[in-house]
Amino acid sequence: MLLILLTVVFFVLRVIPGDPIAALFAGRAPAIIVEQTRHALGLDQPYYIQYLAYLGQIFTGNLGTSIGELFKGQTVLSVLLQRLPATIELAVGSMIVATTVGVLTGLVGGVNRDKPIDVLVRLYGTIIFVIPIFWLGEILQLVFAVNLGWLPAQGRFSAVDPPTTITGFYSIDSLLEGRIDKFIITLQHLALPCLTLGLVLSGFFTKTVRANLLRTVNADYVEAARARGITFGRIITRYAFKNALIPVITVLGLQFAILFGGAVLTERTFSWPGMGSLLLLSINGADYPMIQGAIVVYAFMIVIVSVIIDIVNGLIDPRVRY
Amino acid sequence: MTEGESRRDKSYPFLEIPRSFLGRLFGPLLRERKTLAGVLSWIGLGIFLAYIFLAVFAPLLAPFQQTQPFSNPVLQSPSLKYLMGTDNVGRDVLSRVVWGARTSLEIMAIGVFIALAIGFPIGLLSGYAGGMTDRILVLIMDSIYAFPGLLLAALIAAVIGKGVFNIGVAITVIYVPLYFRVTRNQTLSVREEPYVEAARALGARSPTIIFSYIAHSVIIAVPVIFSLSAADAILTAAGLSYLGLGLEVDTPGDWGRDLSDAQQWIGVGVWWTSVFPGLMIILLTVGLSFLGEGLNDIINPNLRKERA
Repeated sequence: MLLILLTVVFFVLRVIPGDPIAALFAGRAPAIIVEQTRHALGLDQPYYIQYLAYLGQIFTGNLGTSIGELFKGQTVLSVLLQRLPATIELAVGSMIVATTVGVLTGLVGGVNRDKPIDVLVRLYGTIIFVIPIFWLGEILQLVFAVNLGWLPAQGRFSAVDPPTTITGFYSIDSLLEGRIDKFIITLQHLALPCLTLGLVLSGFFTKTVRANLLRTVNADYVEAARARGITFGRIITRYAFKNALIPVITVLGLQFAILFGGAVLTERTFSWPGMGSLLLLSINGADYPMIQGAIVVYAFMIVIVSVIIDIVNGLIDPRVRY
Repeated sequence: MTEGESRRDKSYPFLEIPRSFLGRLFGPLLRERKTLAGVLSWIGLGIFLAYIFLAVFAPLLAPFQQTQPFSNPVLQSPSLKYLMGTDNVGRDVLSRVVWGARTSLEIMAIGVFIALAIGFPIGLLSGYAGGMTDRILVLIMDSIYAFPGLLLAALIAAVIGKGVFNIGVAITVIYVPLYFRVTRNQTLSVREEPYVEAARALGARSPTIIFSYIAHSVIIAVPVIFSLSAADAILTAAGLSYLGLGLEVDTPGDWGRDLSDAQQWIGVGVWWTSVFPGLMIILLTVGLSFLGEGLNDIINPNLRKERA
């Protein structure tokens, strides 16, 4: 799967009609520079040689050196590793928001089937899912940062001294440093971006949890439990809920694709210095090796996530065997 | 089980395989217009048609010229003259929002129809052929599907450049796997139907079977995917514009870029330049997903059985 993803990326960057280097410079550079860049990157060689070189690069972990203005001379991998923690922090935070909100709303909807609150929950699930992330982000900024002044609207950290870089995750670093005040500032900065991205993703969980809960509630073992006189609330919490979650975890993997895509938009809205903003910078700066490297890292993340989900699924559901 | 369900169950199945594509689509829609799914579908369809109207008659409906900067006072809050206010270079927000409908629907139409034109036939062939071909195609399509669509589209957009048509093409890649998947899965089940076997027994060739027997049956799944992918396409196109990878500056209307421009003015309390374009996107995408989910409940026979 990783190989296919990487091949698709290669295909998109090289084989699709159009000249990436020329398009990236968009007429800002003289033809001779475009030609030199292409030669330096080996893009004037036949596709199969390029493809082998590309795979070789990836599997040796050498993603090349930046040619953009901002990171000129730095290796792509080092820049990416600096940016990665910010995106992972955002992604994890958003997933926490999404699952909490989604599972709770789905549960409420499923338990109160076809009552007005269920209809509300279903509308929430449908509508929140198709709200543009950046718009929701702007509205939340408007309300919580501008009008109420509760939370910061931009960036990862606002005080003069960000946590010393140990892992790159500000939330972990500040705790390792033993500075609760820095930890709180970090969380305040995380709040709005995670809320934005998490809410949009929660719609999916709302719908899936609700649908699966309805399915499990109709199962025979639930009926048997009922016949034994177990209360409805207990049946939901002890019997149906856990089984309703299994299919949710199975489809969780696809949510990460939406999550990483959405993170690019969220990072832009909140000036979050992560992978997404790096990718945009690189596209605007015609930094071809950096673009390619960023996409490869995204592909790796997707694959790692799907492996983790498979493992978790096996742990939760003893019927799953690989 | 409702009354309608039981009546249908008694009728002979071949009476239910009717007529034209439109007949099969609107028949159930009319019959189920009183159920929740039916009501949602009709609301969604109404919203969608209203946007098409807006897009077609944008030049007549927009009260002001919307591209020329500084033709109006800047940053006016909504008033009777400027119903949605003006932006930081004095363009009427209402006029831009109306023209945005045209741009947005154009991109969506290009993206979704190309995806349909590629995904549907490949899905038919893959499902019908089975075996190794099928497995490889499914693997490729699933891999594309697992990758963040917006990223892929952004990448393609960066390579092929800006503009309405190019963005339409760039987002196509997200939806091809979707059409492929649904078509293929439907084909797999339809392929085993007795009437297909009968056709084969009568000596019909594979192309005939695929394109007149199977396609005829499978195509009923397309409107659902169309609505859902159209909603997503509009979001993605707006997202690309928001990121600055979408359209040229002089595009007559562009919700994503307007939202991006509006952002720097939020800090000083200018809300109208961001709220209205956003609401326009939401109303359209909500309408399309109502239509898609409603149709899915009505047309998808598996779900119908489950409901009963």
